[in-house]
Amino acid sequence: MKSIGARLALWYAAAATATLAVLFVAGYYLLESYLIHGLDLLNESEFNQIKAHLGPDYQALSPAVINDRIRETTEFASVLFYINIHGRDIGTIFYSSNLRGAEIPDIKGKRKYDIEFGTAGLLRVAEFILPPYDVIIATPEKQLEGVMEGYAEVCAALLAIMLGLSVAIGFGLSRVALQPVRLIRETASRIGANNLNERIPVPSSNDEISHLALLLNAMFDRLETSFKHVQRFAADASHELKTPLSLIRLHAEKLLASGSLRGEGEEEILTVLEEVTRLNSTIDELLFLSRAEGRSITLDLARHDPAALLANFSIDAQVLAESRGLHFSYSHEGSGNAIYEPRWLRRVLLNLVSNAVNASPPGGRIRMRSSITESLWRVSLEDEGPGVPAADRKRIFDRFVRLQSDSGAGHQGSGLGLAICRGIIELHHGQLYAEAGTGERGLRVVFELPAQPAGVQAAPLQNPIETVA
Amino acid sequence: MKILVVEDQRRLGVLLKQGLTEAGYTVSHAGSCSAARDALCESSYGAIVLDLGLPDGDGIELLQQWRKSGFNEPVIILSARDTLQDRIKGLDVGADDYLPKPFSMQELLARLRSLLRRQSSVKDTVLEHRGIRVDLVGRTVHFNGAPVDLTSREFALFEIFMQNAGRILTRSLICETVWSSPYEVDANLLDVYMSKLRAKFEPTDGKPLFKTVRGVGYQLQ
Repeated sequence: MKSIGARLALWYAAAATATLAVLFVAGYYLLESYLIHGLDLLNESEFNQIKAHLGPDYQALSPAVINDRIRETTEFASVLFYINIHGRDIGTIFYSSNLRGAEIPDIKGKRKYDIEFGTAGLLRVAEFILPPYDVIIATPEKQLEGVMEGYAEVCAALLAIMLGLSVAIGFGLSRVALQPVRLIRETASRIGANNLNERIPVPSSNDEISHLALLLNAMFDRLETSFKHVQRFAADASHELKTPLSLIRLHAEKLLASGSLRGEGEEEILTVLEEVTRLNSTIDELLFLSRAEGRSITLDLARHDPAALLANFSIDAQVLAESRGLHFSYSHEGSGNAIYEPRWLRRVLLNLVSNAVNASPPGGRIRMRSSITESLWRVSLEDEGPGVPAADRKRIFDRFVRLQSDSGAGHQGSGLGLAICRGIIELHHGQLYAEAGTGERGLRVVFELPAQPAGVQAAPLQNPIETVA
Repeated sequence: MKILVVEDQRRLGVLLKQGLTEAGYTVSHAGSCSAARDALCESSYGAIVLDLGLPDGDGIELLQQWRKSGFNEPVIILSARDTLQDRIKGLDVGADDYLPKPFSMQELLARLRSLLRRQSSVKDTVLEHRGIRVDLVGRTVHFNGAPVDLTSREFALFEIFMQNAGRILTRSLICETVWSSPYEVDANLLDVYMSKLRAKFEPTDGKPLFKTVRGVGYQLQ
């Protein structure tokens, strides 16, 4: 069950109904014993009547007289009572006519008991001593059974009503009780990188919910602090590193422009300029990674059909591959939309193709395959280079880990390219991984982004400038 | 042409002033927001080069005030803050261009020129240089009278060079214009396209058309 509200409602309904059921069962036994006690009283009063009719000198009467006297008193009540009298040593001296000569079974040692008796069904039996006779009087429990059945039916109906009612009441109660929680959830989900200063309204009641709101707000405080810290660090690092870099660069350019340098000196200044450029892009990449990991990059996300991006990109990829004597092929299957910011994905694609180009042997083939299925846009780039051992395939996405194929060739990247690709893909809620190529050699790098196939009614983006936080 | 440079870092300010003066501009230098405000009230400028981190305030706010009070001098922001949001924010409050640090003097000059050209709103539709003729409307290129086939990417790239013939163009400026990507990630690709362009234009006089300026970019000679 997904919602706490529904669970609470059902628990409440189950508890209320079970309590009522226990009460009804207890009521059943109490009522039954009360009714049986009533039968016992009836039996006793019948006995008293017989006793009164026999008179105080009954011991002197002959069995036949006794029989007559009892029959006088009991015949009209014979529907209600089964009567059986027997004396010690002389055997049974009286059967009520409804017994038809049968004897009410006697349970030794018990004065009051229930017994099953032929067509009469269950009987409530009472045994009385009228020395030297034992008078056994029994009353059928049929009516009592009827009453108890009626009681059980009414109880079952009441339980069903109770169940329905308590579910409804439970839902109502849980809605009311969880209203503040819902409010907290709505606010918390609204808080992103752009409005980290927003806080959950704390209810005035000093209860669990207000404590939760306070706790969450404290957590948002810490989040905001560390978030600002990342941003401030990035800004400080930018400023403190880039202003001196500007100075180095401008001085070097001035030296070059002055024309006072000859040969070696000029060569060295040119190297300085190249290093400044390289250092600058490394700083940019590191800052990008720190922002991406701090989730302080805002993407301009929108729904796109990747076919256009891929077609446009494949022009450049083709040129890049052919310039190194490599073959580049590209295929795209299915149609649909994915949510992304094109320039970032272009950066990922270009980075992956550059890696593939650098790893490929002369005349090698680079394949870019893209497909959109039910929920996934998947792009893979495969080369025929030396590949990466399975054990290292996760590691290549870490910072400053260079592919083996890079080290030998003239190309020397910053070692941050794949880490940045992963950062970008993760900001898009996707994943990036590497696997073995289809042939004996080669590496396939794959990224996957959530997608929607064509024809599915696109849900409107809540906010085109969505914060990934 | 008078340029106002607002930059608090003294040595950088001096270098900027020198570089711009050598390029033929008259330069005033302001080291703080208040000095910049005063300078702008006292005189009018052809363009303003504005650093964002100033000791007594933020360049963005300064620019906002200017635009609100009706100063519409073209402004190039010069800043170490170079995320996309920073750029967008800068352009949104009214900057005409945004140049991240560290920058090349050549690039600043190229951007200034393009800014001033935009201001003058006169734009040639046919560009000519060393026997090359580019028709920007018909999107055709002729070299010594013979048509040259360029892909759309190559054309976009070539157009920037023709617009800035004789000037050094930095890699980042080129990438930003052709691929709308300010990142050096397209650098490899740029080299490839440059070699393709070189192959299509082989000058008869022996002097190569494109010169690679190491550490900076390329120049159409």
